[in-house]
Amino acid sequence: MSDATKAIFTGDRCLSCTACMANCPVMAAIKEYRGPKLVGPAHGRMHFSQEDVEESLNYCSNCKSCDRACPAGVAVSTLNMLQRAEYYKKHKQLRHENMLAHGERMAKLIRKMPFGAKFANVGMNVGKFLGVFNALGLAGKRNMPAYASTSFKNLFPKIRQAPSNKKVVLFTGCYTNDNEPQVGEAFVKVMNANGCEVLIDEGFKCCGSPLVVTGFLDEARQNADNNVAKILNWKRKGIPVVTPCTSCSLMLKEEYYELFGEQEMREAAENVYDAFEFLEILQERGEFNENLKSLNQKLLYHVPCHLKSQAIGLPAANILEEIGGVKVQTADAGCCGISGNYGFHKDKYEISMKVGEKLFARVKKKDFDKVISDCGTCRMQIHHGTDIKPCHPIEILAEAYQ
Amino acid sequence: MKISDVIIIGGGLAGLMAASVAANRRQKVTVLTYGSGSLPLASGAIDFLNTESPEAAIKNLPAHHPYKKIGVKNIDTAAKFFCHITSQANLIYNGKISAQIPIVTAVGTLKYSSLVPESMNATKLKSKKKIFVANVKGLKDFYASMLVDNLKKYFPDKTFEIAPLDLNLMGGRDITCLSAAQILTGNEKILADGLKKLNATEDDAIIIPPILGLEGNISRAEVKSQIRADIIETTCLPPSPPGIRLQRALMKYLQKSGVRFHENSKVIHGTAEGKKITGVIIGSGIREKFFPAKKIILATGGFYSGGLTMREFDNPKEPIFDLPVFFPTGAENWSNENLFGDKPQGFSMTGIFTNDNLNPVDENGKVLYENLHVIGANLGGVDFIHEHSAGGVAISSAHKAAMI
Repeated sequence: MSDATKAIFTGDRCLSCTACMANCPVMAAIKEYRGPKLVGPAHGRMHFSQEDVEESLNYCSNCKSCDRACPAGVAVSTLNMLQRAEYYKKHKQLRHENMLAHGERMAKLIRKMPFGAKFANVGMNVGKFLGVFNALGLAGKRNMPAYASTSFKNLFPKIRQAPSNKKVVLFTGCYTNDNEPQVGEAFVKVMNANGCEVLIDEGFKCCGSPLVVTGFLDEARQNADNNVAKILNWKRKGIPVVTPCTSCSLMLKEEYYELFGEQEMREAAENVYDAFEFLEILQERGEFNENLKSLNQKLLYHVPCHLKSQAIGLPAANILEEIGGVKVQTADAGCCGISGNYGFHKDKYEISMKVGEKLFARVKKKDFDKVISDCGTCRMQIHHGTDIKPCHPIEILAEAYQ
Repeated sequence: MKISDVIIIGGGLAGLMAASVAANRRQKVTVLTYGSGSLPLASGAIDFLNTESPEAAIKNLPAHHPYKKIGVKNIDTAAKFFCHITSQANLIYNGKISAQIPIVTAVGTLKYSSLVPESMNATKLKSKKKIFVANVKGLKDFYASMLVDNLKKYFPDKTFEIAPLDLNLMGGRDITCLSAAQILTGNEKILADGLKKLNATEDDAIIIPPILGLEGNISRAEVKSQIRADIIETTCLPPSPPGIRLQRALMKYLQKSGVRFHENSKVIHGTAEGKKITGVIIGSGIREKFFPAKKIILATGGFYSGGLTMREFDNPKEPIFDLPVFFPTGAENWSNENLFGDKPQGFSMTGIFTNDNLNPVDENGKVLYENLHVIGANLGGVDFIHEHSAGGVAISSAHKAAMI
């Protein structure tokens, strides 16, 4: 890779125009954060030449609003994440940071115990009640994501699919696998309806997004190398890797390459698709199954930040509007505030709720039948902020294939 | 993907205005942007020309000037439509193209514009007895004493008073006008209380930096209801709250109208059949994506925003459709030493030439694409900065292109 495309060197393109500051939701919520321009490209370049800690780096949520605002293509948020990794080379992560970064490891442990998920959920409720979360540094006012009794990967072998020459590999993502397996089931149903057989690759690890934001960059790199090798295997067989999680897809498609800069990451990225991006490509080829039942639903669509960054338009809105009687209205209320595990940190909870205020107010208007969002943590945040439970757009599409 | 009636490339003032006009015509509109455009850096005031009556002066412009192709009547309609849609977002603009309104700059000079946010309209200053200038504690880039020194030159007979104001902005980052506006949103009381202490009357004016929130007139109305004197905002260094208010007002209109607005979507080229553009391709994602359209409006701006590029000297390019770019030949015509002097800068005149429908033309005046329209800073032949017409050309060319 040429130096000019490495995230660290994109800082040199910064003109200090301040467009990123005008669009940063965290700056709008608190005055302690010095903002993307100063922390990212300005301080970033200093920092990599000599040791110097910018305290307010800690406030960046990696929502990537700055990257999208930048007219010069500076990878602002990635510069922040690289600096955070530098910081944690010399400082140990706190216990709750470690926990939030390793959701996958935790879920695996729990699933090894009989009735583990059930006990864990009870434990989390008791923990929240007794203030254990707070003491740990977790946001005590928030429910931790509840574990599904059976993970999607355990449930998957029981799903009966017709064999097909057209195959896709589902990259489930941690949230679909452990917390909302119904999203995975809906995915299989939709793909089957479009003549695709769904495969699972047990070798995939967490995409690494929660590791990157908490400074575990070396571990994220191990996951990246593992996942990239697997994706390239599937690419050689001509089988695309598809995921319904927009943070996973952004990681696999763009962030691996931005963070680590290996050419094979770019090659693997070409074989990764967001679920609705994939369906829209089928539609463009005339291969999309348009035999859809009318649903008569007005949907409010919260577009996740990490989808906006992918430059794929709004494929879920386009596809869902193929369903008779479905009307999709975008929420247009900015970042939801949770940004992966950001809003789960006790000291970020208030910021995350303040960022989400506009979206909560929009959702509370209740001028729709359902709220949809492709991102699991966005859905959690909306649920927490409004008491209205959103679903993944693929669940709506699956319903229309009944 | 469904075909758009019109795709607008670019999300600056021209692009957002074009999208608003097309949306008002109930067309299916898609906006593709890369970067948030320069409105967060802009004053929010819209200049048409630097003269008492731009409307009258437009008649004397040379035939190649974009205003001549747009026509005075259309320019007037565009200005009225602009005020109409911004007012829907509770952002009131004053003015018309046949006049100019004074605004106070951050350094205390007066600047004249045709369309001015009501909060910045300084017309009433001349009828005031006393002028207070807020000196906000901890605010960067705003020096009340310098402002007073300069403004005194315009109003030597008036009493000036510097009013120290502590809005509790300290204790975090360095505070710009944007940060102050963010902090004051929902906390307008602290500003109102501070201003009340001045005991200013209807005969007075209070000049403050532009910190009255970021959403239309909400914060201003809240403060104004408690203060008898006129409160007048100045311009400021970027990031600029009045420019951000304008951007948000236009965005609100687009969102309400169901316009599809895609960020981080850099158009790399178009597809054409003969003289008709059939769609555009974005290339900022991992794979290219095609957006079909019946009509395209090009609003990618000039050199600053990458709408025009110059990798080799004397060879400027329009990178998406490879349109011919007008350019003053000869290095001696390229620039003049006096950056803000009384002559235009050659390099600033670089841009695309069009016919009256704003279709791009070649050096013989032949139309290249019939459904492609070029607006805003993409247009050539004029130094918009020198003649103070960037905003006026942006909104009026946008209006004309979107109405065709």
